[in-house]
Amino acid sequence: MQFFVSLCTFPILGAALTAGSARIEKVRRTIIIISWLQVISVAVLCLPVLLGNVSILQFTPDFAVDRIGAYFLMLTNFVCACSLSHAPTFFRNESLFAGKTVPPQHERMFYASASLFLLAMNFVFLSDNLGLLWVSIEATTLFSAGLVYFSRDKHALEATWKYLMICSVGIAFALLGTILIFASSQHGAIQGGSLNVRQLLGCAKQLEPKLLELGYIFCLLGYGTKAGIFPLHTWLPDAHSEAPAPASAMLSGALLNCALFAIWRITELVRLTEHHAICESVPIFWGALTALAAGLFLVHQYGIKRLWAYSSIENVGIMLVAIGLGSPLLFFLQALNHSVAKVALFLLSGNIIQYYKTKDLSQIRGLLQVSPTCGILFAICAAAVTGMPPFGAFIAEWLILAKSADATQGIAVGILLVALAISFVAVSIHVARVLWGTPKSEIALSGTFAKYLIPSLLCLCTIVLGLSALPLIMVKPI
Amino acid sequence: MMSSIDLCVLCAAVLACLMVGSLHLRLNLWLYGAETLCIALATLFTAQSHSESGLIYIALLIAGLKAAGIPLFLGWTSEKLNVHRDVGAVIAPPLAMHLTIILLAFSFILTRGLPAPSMAASGWYGATAGISLLFTGLVVMLTRRLAIGQILGFLVIENGIYVFALTQTLGMPMLVEMGVLLDMLVGVMVSGLLVFRIQKSFEHIDVAQLTSLKE
Amino acid sequence: MTDANIHLLKICSDWILFVLCIVLVPPLCLGLIRKTKARLQNRVGPPLFQPLLDLLKLCKKGETISSTMSGTFRLSTVVVLATMLVLAWMTPWLSFKPWSPNADLFLIVYLFALARVFTLLGALDSGSAFGAFGASREVTLGLLVEPALLLGLVALGLFSGSSDLRLIFAYSHFQYLGATAVPGIWLLVGISILLSSLVELSRMPVDDPTTHLELTMVHEAMILEASGRNLAFIEFAHALRMSILFGLAAQCFVHAAAAVWCMSALTEGLLSIGGICVIAISVGVLESLSVKLQWRKVPEFVAYVVSMSLLAAFVAAGTGVARL
Repeated sequence: MQFFVSLCTFPILGAALTAGSARIEKVRRTIIIISWLQVISVAVLCLPVLLGNVSILQFTPDFAVDRIGAYFLMLTNFVCACSLSHAPTFFRNESLFAGKTVPPQHERMFYASASLFLLAMNFVFLSDNLGLLWVSIEATTLFSAGLVYFSRDKHALEATWKYLMICSVGIAFALLGTILIFASSQHGAIQGGSLNVRQLLGCAKQLEPKLLELGYIFCLLGYGTKAGIFPLHTWLPDAHSEAPAPASAMLSGALLNCALFAIWRITELVRLTEHHAICESVPIFWGALTALAAGLFLVHQYGIKRLWAYSSIENVGIMLVAIGLGSPLLFFLQALNHSVAKVALFLLSGNIIQYYKTKDLSQIRGLLQVSPTCGILFAICAAAVTGMPPFGAFIAEWLILAKSADATQGIAVGILLVALAISFVAVSIHVARVLWGTPKSEIALSGTFAKYLIPSLLCLCTIVLGLSALPLIMVKPI
Repeated sequence: MMSSIDLCVLCAAVLACLMVGSLHLRLNLWLYGAETLCIALATLFTAQSHSESGLIYIALLIAGLKAAGIPLFLGWTSEKLNVHRDVGAVIAPPLAMHLTIILLAFSFILTRGLPAPSMAASGWYGATAGISLLFTGLVVMLTRRLAIGQILGFLVIENGIYVFALTQTLGMPMLVEMGVLLDMLVGVMVSGLLVFRIQKSFEHIDVAQLTSLKE
Repeated sequence: MTDANIHLLKICSDWILFVLCIVLVPPLCLGLIRKTKARLQNRVGPPLFQPLLDLLKLCKKGETISSTMSGTFRLSTVVVLATMLVLAWMTPWLSFKPWSPNADLFLIVYLFALARVFTLLGALDSGSAFGAFGASREVTLGLLVEPALLLGLVALGLFSGSSDLRLIFAYSHFQYLGATAVPGIWLLVGISILLSSLVELSRMPVDDPTTHLELTMVHEAMILEASGRNLAFIEFAHALRMSILFGLAAQCFVHAAAAVWCMSALTEGLLSIGGICVIAISVGVLESLSVKLQWRKVPEFVAYVVSMSLLAAFVAAGTGVARL
């Protein structure tokens, strides 16, 4: 019980604080402190599981943290802490640079939505009950709508509407899938049926196969809409590009992981039955297809944030392949590398948009000239996201390809290779165009190094991750 | 042999089919309220026949919040926006209504392939009603261009999923049901408020014209 | 009294009752509708059998025939009246009818269509513009609503396993199942026949029968040029058509009730007539309370009617499948 209390304290505190009448500067500072305190508290509480002493921490029958859940919990809180720490600088610079005055109550709403959003995401990883998992994911949709709608202009409205509608319909299908799984458990496996993951895993072989398969497909469809797999991804570029930079970072870096984690839970369940062929072939193939489609979309992009949104879709495809392969390590590794690099990229893009006062890629030129720091960090993170050695994403993708080849998924390997190649070339060209060339107009620079603090921290993380994961390739892959 | 539960949910499915045939917002909302009331009645009958007291509370919540509250809220929204008729899209409403009825028959055939539920009373009539409501909701979303119509389509989908859960698995654990209900209500509120903003920004609530963000 | 004599007596009484019904029920229908509307408008209204007296009065009057008319208009009147009488004999619109030959449902529907064709011919023969567009509107309505009637009757046929209306509407036929489907199908088909009859007879909400604006008339426009005995026959045929359709609908409702409660033949007979009267009164109420639909919106209304029939057809098919 105390785990809950401590887990929920900080986000709720954050949300409550913004409703108070404190001045916005105080709110900004407190939010930063609260978010990092949250990371520390989660780390402390999950320590036994993280270190591997305990395989699972069970609080109530319906809430538990297992190993992969603990890792994702840490990642999510870290990502949100980074974004929320960068957010005050971002908003401060909005008024200074971009000439857009951000009303304080909008910023308060942002922090409040972000805190509740973080709370909902934490619950996704904590839920040991498929029904509560669903409720948490729907809650994340609802809270993040407030984030996407931040700038309150026409485009933001359109993006929010599309986001809400498509994701809600998708998640409704996931609910149908959950009900089908519940029905399959009622057929003699468990008296009265159960949605509890531990119970379901325990009696996986007795679950009714037809209902389970149907339920799996619907859940994949539903949570896949939330994760942004092709062709249900149409909301993603709009939502991620209209949200302000810290929100985009949270959406790309943390929310997609939540949806994929839900798919992971259910795949884990179906894998234990005799009909596990479906949960191997379908995610792998669909993931490869998503990556290919995203790669093709990446070729013609005109917005800098849309570029990174499509790159997220590609990485979602790769993570889906990892889920299909059944390796929690690869799934988490890819998620970790992607999240860290993507958050840094989005935060840097936010800064870039503030300098150039436009999102249009064709207008952004000569970044290295305008701000060498920004340019170098941008280049490093872009390289990390597209999977260039020696960064961690390369290692994760290499391992995934190797495992797929081992599992004789030749077609998927082929498609993935093509997809990775196309996206690498496309992103490199776009990034090169951004970095070099001459700026189209006079760019006013100023400001402290504070706005590069978090991105540089994250850059460092990507380098460290890459170097530390190197042994994984040297040793026989898992 | 059809039980009263089956009759109620099939009645709800038929009312949803009738909803597709008219673009008049008030009629749509009224039909939605009637269909949700049928579903609440079905929940009551299930609670009675399987002696699950929890379902009685859920039935009351559905009747109060979903059957009465949501149509009132959306009706108030449409009054404020001065929108009384949807514009319609893709297929004409009468044709869409016939298509929906054919889909109702189709879902009857589909659900015969499902294994019979072990716990619930109804045979495959309940599953038919659930799947048909799902299809109906999708058709409503496809044939409506105005935002309120799309919210209505989504609500019908949710109704269908709930009916499926009710008849196949006697509803889900209480906590989950409450969570689902809450999520849905908050979703409708948020969407409803957004509709106001759409009206203010775009001067219409025609979502087919929300196409400025393209590839 | 031997059996043969009793049998003969029965046949005679059946026929006498039937002829009385044919003569009295159509004017009664019209009279009830007018009376209801008058009462709702706070008037006393004409007596109930005023339409009958009107018909007799018309028979005594002379005719005015346009010079452009050929003999078609007389032919059309005769054919329409004859068809209606045959239909009245064949269709089971009352529970107590004398013996009639095979009443196949497709034959019935096509006889209605035959009557419509000859009405159109009579309307077009007069050569006036109003007759022509009354005819065109009548055809449009007929086109839209024929599937509804046909589907409804086919649903009943599917359900009872025969296309003969006498067998379908026979009272002792279906005591099995006790299933909910039985009254359900009868109700659905009854509603569908009732609503489609409103469209076919071009009553509210499709067209106001008391309108004086030729531009909005459907049935009245077609008979503008008729006068005297011709008009009397046409009006009588129309009223008979109304009674047959209302009678069919009433029979469906009575069958729905009979599936739940057991009834004697006398009750069924009384209920048939009573049902027609109740339907006439409710049509009167509907005409007073509702607004005429825009012509462009009529297909939407008809779509609802066809949906009812479609639903009934599917339910019937489904019950047939479920029985397997």
